[in-house]
Amino acid sequence: MNAPSQKPSNTTTNTIETRTASNTKKLALWTGLWSISLALVAFGPKFLWDFHTVITCTLIVTNLFMGYKMIIANKEHLEGLDELQQRIHLEAMALSLGCSVVFGAVFGLLENVRIIASSPNPSSVLFVTGITYGIGMLIAHKKYL
Amino acid sequence: MKNRLKVLRAERDWTQADLAARLDVSRQTIVAIEKGKYDPSLSLAFKAARLFAQPIESIFDDEIEVTGS
Repeated sequence: MNAPSQKPSNTTTNTIETRTASNTKKLALWTGLWSISLALVAFGPKFLWDFHTVITCTLIVTNLFMGYKMIIANKEHLEGLDELQQRIHLEAMALSLGCSVVFGAVFGLLENVRIIASSPNPSSVLFVTGITYGIGMLIAHKKYL
Repeated sequence: MKNRLKVLRAERDWTQADLAARLDVSRQTIVAIEKGKYDPSLSLAFKAARLFAQPIESIFDDEIEVTGS
């Protein structure tokens, strides 16, 4: 009746831990490169190359490429997780997306309805996305683990 | 959903990590399934059934009584 007590077929080369570690490293690498290229696009024209259009455009294209690689790395990272880990991320993303849409929609109106004087910075929504994603991960971990 | 994973695992003297490696999932997933906090997908349930060489319904019980017509 008992299944044979052979060792797990997943050797150290392809366990979920090694797969996730490898995908996480790849994601961290492309996220880091994307962040650096974004910082160069943001500060380089003013501080490094005096608004030289060709250099700036080259950096923008590079940044978009890094962003593309980061998106693919994130997709591969999620696909490499097991089904419960994927569900935890899905629930965190649902919370994050919902909050970002709700916050972003009302935030964009604040200047028009004269609640704030200056134009709202759209990148503020990224903070809401990141923070709510983290909160969503904590809630989902607590729910399942 | 109730399940007998913990019992079957104990019978074979496997740790949660051993079972997780055999099913190619994380140890946390095994913990959540054993605690009944997470119901596995059909493919994972079948994988567990194959691993323990038992019918799927003898491992997982959805606790719904089936009455005859």
